[in-house]
Amino acid sequence: MAAIALATPHPLPAAENKASLPPYTPAYEPTTVDERGLWMEADERERRLRDSPLRIREGKLETYLRDVLCREVGQDRCTGVRVYAMEIPSFNATMMPNGAMEVWSGLLLRARDEAELAAVLGHEFAHFELRHAVFGFKNRRGTSDAMAWLSVLGGISNTPVGDTNLSLIGSIYRFNREQETQADLLGLKYLAGAGYPAGSAARIWQSLMAEEDASALGRKQKVQQKYSAGFFDSHPATLMRATYLAKEAANWPSGGDARGKDYDAAIAPYLPRFLAAQIKRNDFGGSEYILQTLSDRSGWTGDLLYARAELHRGRGNPRDLQLASQFYRQAKDAGNTSAELDRNLGLALMRNGQADEGRAALTTYLTAHPDATDAKAINALLAN
Amino acid sequence: MRTSLFLFAAATLTASVVSANSLIAPGPQAGIAKSRLGAKPDGEWNRLSRRDGKRVELWTLDGDALNKVVFFAGVPVGEPILREIDKKNRPLPKVAGNMLITDIPALLETTYRSQFAVNQMQIDSQEPALLSGNKGIKFTYSFMRADDEVQRKGEGVGAMVKGQLYLVIYEAPSLYFFDKDLEKFHKLAESLSLS
Repeated sequence: MAAIALATPHPLPAAENKASLPPYTPAYEPTTVDERGLWMEADERERRLRDSPLRIREGKLETYLRDVLCREVGQDRCTGVRVYAMEIPSFNATMMPNGAMEVWSGLLLRARDEAELAAVLGHEFAHFELRHAVFGFKNRRGTSDAMAWLSVLGGISNTPVGDTNLSLIGSIYRFNREQETQADLLGLKYLAGAGYPAGSAARIWQSLMAEEDASALGRKQKVQQKYSAGFFDSHPATLMRATYLAKEAANWPSGGDARGKDYDAAIAPYLPRFLAAQIKRNDFGGSEYILQTLSDRSGWTGDLLYARAELHRGRGNPRDLQLASQFYRQAKDAGNTSAELDRNLGLALMRNGQADEGRAALTTYLTAHPDATDAKAINALLAN
Repeated sequence: MRTSLFLFAAATLTASVVSANSLIAPGPQAGIAKSRLGAKPDGEWNRLSRRDGKRVELWTLDGDALNKVVFFAGVPVGEPILREIDKKNRPLPKVAGNMLITDIPALLETTYRSQFAVNQMQIDSQEPALLSGNKGIKFTYSFMRADDEVQRKGEGVGAMVKGQLYLVIYEAPSLYFFDKDLEKFHKLAESLSLS
């Protein structure tokens, strides 16, 4: 790992010169055999991204994400970058060595303002700019061998290896801890240099830790067990990361504009579907944490109350069903107009044994949507 | 050449040992997934030896990526319908005693989203149905797994019988395969019985 760090052609500038950025090469072409191979794979993966049904094509989300990146790293650096927004509810963003960046909806649901989003994008851009992928790749050719073998074994034993395959491909783009730290520090320069609050990078990691705690609590597991870096864990432990990022941020002037309002406006059209996907992840504690952080910003809006009702109805304990009906009604009062609101309210009530109220809500749903695809099933529930 | 032949022979041998799939002949089949569930297929199917859960049995015609029927037979309250791959980080939702018929497709959806990294899934239609005389639901759905990004369609029939979930689903790629064998599934579903 030390050798890889030494081989990096753009060592980080000394700490006193914190605003200087690595030299920028426009229209860079891969040079070595390894790098050309890596680019070829990245091009192929980018074609899949471009055509993926998961890509969020509607609206201006991808344009907004690209604008954020450009604001952060500067027009000259971002010109060649392609940004793909993907509807995947986990927290992630990656940038491939060929300059394609992929941002998952789970990140957009969790970042609390534009500065937190920019902190993650800047970090990924730093990996790209420092060409970390190629310097780590030589040492990880072993991964590809394992992948070939797993495919063969999977074919023989008829075990789906898809998931394994994906996670191993992911590991080609995974970086070692030193590289992660370098990217964190360079990312911070982009972030603070662009006028975002320097503390945002530390804040998003702190929030992720809090969410992990909430998830663990919701699943009745011990909290804080993940904070020490495991032997195989390539990322610096989240806690360590939040700590050194906060320390580093203190060297920058305080203040800056987190552009929270612009962020909320850009995400708002997608919020209901991002929330719906999160609620179906079977992670009560984590989802409740996300809803709380969203409500801290906007108050309990109709969208948030509806999502909260869905979350409780999904867990389905008697107290949850009671709360769910309450939240559905509040969501309706707050102006939520989801077609399924009355149906789901009715189902929560029915499941909780409040048959008369439940029937009333289901009838309201059927009256408004007589041709709904589930009308026959709802009618059957009414007849019972 | 000799080496590759040897490798091929070894692979074939391993295949026959590792995957002892079996032929389902037409006619009555009892004790599906070691449960009270039976069926009377009128054509041949293949039963996969792979078990995706304690109470799960898989049948296919051309391989489970192209078409498959999954029997979830007698899953009791408090258990997930599939074996949990990562109990700590991706626990699966469990069967509940107070589930309504419309909660059966919802359970399948949340299970798929956690287990197979399915990020796009929707329940397309739902109507009441009988499963061997028990009140249940018939539903159709469509989804896409992250690993192959193939659009698939599915159809299922399920019911809670004496506090246990019985659910039989048919899934295949939307393109060509789903329609090709849908009729065979319909006949199979009509022949389901609980002993």
